[in-house]
Amino acid sequence: MISFKGVSVDFGSHTLLKDITLQIKPGEFVFLVGQTGSGKSTVLRLIYMDILPTRGTVFVGKHCSASIQLREIPFLRRELGVVFQDFKLLEDRSVYDNVAFTLHVTGTPAAEIKKKVMHTLGDVGLSHARNKMAHELSGGEQQRVAIARALANNPTFLLADEPTGNLDPGTSLEILTLLKGINMRGTAVVMATHNYDIVRKAKERILKIEEGGIREVDAPF
Amino acid sequence: MSFSYTLRESVSGFRRAMVSSLLSVATITISLILVGIFAAVTINASRLIDTLRSRLDMEAFLTEPVTEDEVTGLQSRITDLEGIEKVVFISKDEAMKVFKQETGDDITKVLDFNPLPPSFKIMLKEPYRTSAKTHAIYERITAIQGVDTVVYRRVLLELIDQRSASVNKVMLGLGIAVSLTAIFLVANTIRLAITAKRRLIRTMELVGATRGFIRRPFIIEGVLQGFFGGLAASGIMFLLFEYAAKLVSEEFAPYLRMPPLFYVSVLGTGMLLGLAGSLISVVRFVRPAAAG
Repeated sequence: MISFKGVSVDFGSHTLLKDITLQIKPGEFVFLVGQTGSGKSTVLRLIYMDILPTRGTVFVGKHCSASIQLREIPFLRRELGVVFQDFKLLEDRSVYDNVAFTLHVTGTPAAEIKKKVMHTLGDVGLSHARNKMAHELSGGEQQRVAIARALANNPTFLLADEPTGNLDPGTSLEILTLLKGINMRGTAVVMATHNYDIVRKAKERILKIEEGGIREVDAPF
Repeated sequence: MSFSYTLRESVSGFRRAMVSSLLSVATITISLILVGIFAAVTINASRLIDTLRSRLDMEAFLTEPVTEDEVTGLQSRITDLEGIEKVVFISKDEAMKVFKQETGDDITKVLDFNPLPPSFKIMLKEPYRTSAKTHAIYERITAIQGVDTVVYRRVLLELIDQRSASVNKVMLGLGIAVSLTAIFLVANTIRLAITAKRRLIRTMELVGATRGFIRRPFIIEGVLQGFFGGLAASGIMFLLFEYAAKLVSEEFAPYLRMPPLFYVSVLGTGMLLGLAGSLISVVRFVRPAAAG
């Protein structure tokens, strides 16, 4: 369960998020929509505790923003999968090594790593590209690698920050289909986007961030 | 995280960023050659001073006449004193021979007797070859009954003391400056390499890697760079010194031939430099997961 209680975030004298309260349950698919700069990425950063709230509390599973120690943050992130608009792949290594990295981080035994990486790459349809370097792939393929990396540790929540922001409409739909499939298998997906076509097609829960507040809506606008 | 993974990552990191890795190795090599040549000069200056000191024997002339038993007694009394390495008896006849060898003159042609007194040639232990300690021994030997006069090259010894103290100060100052320059150069080169990987480090943090997990390969990579830098510096200096030893006379050649321990130390210093450089850089650049 992800839970925000009265969360506000100030950047200097500017308050970006004001007194937000929300809940996201395991297994849900949630869109975070709003204009550029409205605070969608900030909500995700609060979840993976890249920033902490100025006021209020964020709960992610057993972790609480009010009491979490800096050294515990990597362990929180291992329970989440995060996908970014700019993919953030480890550019100096292959597709296989990118996915394997998250498993090395958690100390997974070598034999299991091979099995898991191949399985996850199969899930995103990239088994054939395992030996390629990240820069040799198309944008859509790079995002699939990022998704595979995020899934490798079987996270309860997959956070996707504008995952289709750099992709053409066709590829964006492919990524959405992939994320929906992942959600069907039980992983909750929280996707920040301003691609309203996708949101409309998906017919999932929508949280709209506007003027620092957050509210549930039926349609993105 | 297993050690084999860390090691593999370190070697891969070295290979992936070959240009910056080679730049770090080259920087370590140059720094070590700088430090190594400086160390060789210091070692040789110290060797030269020690050689000079060891040649400054003390001579104790005995009161005549003196019997064989008295000579044995005096010799053992002097040998028992603190700081004495060796005491050699020079009889009147031997003194005459030495005089003849050194001057080419035969006193017996001028005088009908041998005026040279019997003496002891006294060698001091290494730590006692300073002017203050030598003078203390001189006073103790002078006070022994049966010893007439004691001589040693006091002025020269004082001069060596003064000069070697100055040399030590200069060498210490230069040594610190050279070492700091080397550490700065290496840390800066490794820092640049790590700065280039800042995006990579950020991504590692975001997928849940701990500080230790990110830092360890960089640290081992630094030690590896230090090892290769040390190896290259040892090889270059060995060839350099061997070549120089062939150019100088045989008397000076041993000063240029450094013992194996010197090269092992260069290798060890290289690894330490790599370790220090990478530690300084990773502690600065791989900080706790940013929050707040």
